Amino acid sequence: MFCEKAVELIRELHRISDGQLPAFNEDGLRQVLQEMEALYDQNQADVNEAKSEGRAELIPSIKVRHCCLLRDQRCVTAYLYDRLLRIRALRWEYGSVLPANVRFHMCAEENFRMTIVVLSQLQWFSQYKKSLASFMRSLGGGEGLDITQDMKPPKSLYIEVRCLKDHGEFEIDDGTVILLKKNSQVVLGVAWDILSCVCVMSVSLCPQHFLPRWKCEQLIRQGVLEHVVS
Amino acid sequence: MDPSEVEFLAEKETVKIIPNFSLDKIYLIGGDLGPFNPGLPVDVPLWLALNLKQRQKCRIIPPEWMDVEKLEEMRELERKEEAFTPVPSPFYMELTKLLLNHASDNIPKADEIRTLVKDVWDTRIAKLRLSADSFISQQEAHAKLDNLTLMEINTIREFLLDSLNCMYKLRSNLQPGSSKGQYVDF
Amino acid sequence: MSDVLSDAGSDSNHDDSQEDVMTPAELIAKLEEAWLNEKFSPELLENKSEVVECVMEQLTHMEANLQRVKKGDAKASVHRMEIDRIRFVLSSYLRSRLQKIEKFFPHVLEREKSRGEGEPSLLSPEEFAFAKEYLANTETYLKAVALKRMPPNLQTVDMLKAVPEPCLDSFVFLRVKERQENILVEPETDDQREYVVDLEEGSQHLMRYRTIAPLVSSGAVQLI
Repeated sequence: MFCEKAVELIRELHRISDGQLPAFNEDGLRQVLQEMEALYDQNQADVNEAKSEGRAELIPSIKVRHCCLLRDQRCVTAYLYDRLLRIRALRWEYGSVLPANVRFHMCAEENFRMTIVVLSQLQWFSQYKKSLASFMRSLGGGEGLDITQDMKPPKSLYIEVRCLKDHGEFEIDDGTVILLKKNSQVVLGVAWDILSCVCVMSVSLCPQHFLPRWKCEQLIRQGVLEHVVS
Repeated sequence: MDPSEVEFLAEKETVKIIPNFSLDKIYLIGGDLGPFNPGLPVDVPLWLALNLKQRQKCRIIPPEWMDVEKLEEMRELERKEEAFTPVPSPFYMELTKLLLNHASDNIPKADEIRTLVKDVWDTRIAKLRLSADSFISQQEAHAKLDNLTLMEINTIREFLLDSLNCMYKLRSNLQPGSSKGQYVDF
Repeated sequence: MSDVLSDAGSDSNHDDSQEDVMTPAELIAKLEEAWLNEKFSPELLENKSEVVECVMEQLTHMEANLQRVKKGDAKASVHRMEIDRIRFVLSSYLRSRLQKIEKFFPHVLEREKSRGEGEPSLLSPEEFAFAKEYLANTETYLKAVALKRMPPNLQTVDMLKAVPEPCLDSFVFLRVKERQENILVEPETDDQREYVVDLEEGSQHLMRYRTIAPLVSSGAVQLI
């Protein structure tokens, strides 16, 4: 059956939940492109024959093949576009520098090769980051506003967070280094008292630290911290 | 809309507090607040009231309707009437939740109030489900939704709108030529 | 108490003649209206660059004042809370718009192209630049990865056809701010008839966006 491979690409996307970026199915893409080439060559031949020998009965099969070609094209485009949306989501999820494991998914199959696909994805992503950055810089007549921050309405609550991973030492803007150790419990004052900072008070150690709100949001999104809902 | 965003809007509602500190008038971008004098009631937005309360800088005076007797009346009326009765605040649910969670010591009979408001809410949500159901099954094109609060609308928004859109798509595909189809040639 | 804050909110409206009708409080209300409308409307609405710029000016002005205040100032903390709240609405508003621009980019650009002179533009200049780059970037990617390797007659994709249009027939919830008479409600099925409704001030409704789209832009209704 024609288009089987192309539809398989789409099915693959359906199986993967939102927010995940599966390895690129380069093999699948190659097979669709091969099918397209074959369909096209056959159509070329039939078109010539239909013209030169007046064989009108060839026209229906030419039309069928053409429909298949369009469908292949549509499926491939949809597959590629869907990947862009997933890649785009990474920028909003993790900030402009991706964590290593995510970067890996974006680039690589088992053995990393800089294929055209990989390269193009990386180029798209870096151009997207650039466009977004210059958009944000130019907001408000050039004053600039980072709209990837403030994702949630501000709350003046003291929230408790748990450290889910050994994130190691973490340097805060004021230069202090805190240790984010797995399973340690921390109280974050989403402090409006300190210039949109979050105040981190380790339960065990008493000193207070401050880290910007966006950083805290980011650590939660990255799965380093978890909001403990009481 | 995320429920936290509805709550965010609710936090703009004004409540009365009795501060235990003094402070001059504050000229906020959104309007003036204060002055604050110990023991003298003053109107502030809920977001500020909750923050001051958490820092033990004020006592919050519950809104008038947050009262067992009034709420009981409301509950009876809500159960009796078929339509949605007017609510005392467009954010009654969020106000109750926020005030009871952060200032329950300032609210007499807090537990009873929690139950009553929950009863009112449940009754209204049940009505809302019924109306949504008949809206869909009658294939209505317009509904009047007076007295519904944003939080109530929010509970059915996604489900109802998605269903309506889905049905619309199915229906418009039935009529040949009516679809402005994106892929006409496939 | 710090004097720098004593008139921070009220004096920053300068003497710009066309703005003198709007107080900072009204400006914030405008932003919140725009935010909710944009959140709930299926299509991208007209840009509100002036509001965005004025709000950012207010925030910058206030933040500059706060720089001069001692640490631990009680008023300052209230101002910072307010700034955080306003900045959230502003960012969320701009995010909603950007999301729609990304979702509907070919259509948004097409509308901008076919816009008559004097008609207000859908996109702010920075949004327009972003949309153009997004289109070019995406086309480049599709071409490099696949289209270039397809048969000669299939190496382009008509983005206007490939990317779905906003569905104006979506239902929306709305509250009426200015009374409207004789709003035509189209029938849902063949055996229904069209009818008209009056939208009373303060009343709330559920109906198709297409019917009331002009009222959203004119500000006569608020999406909720």
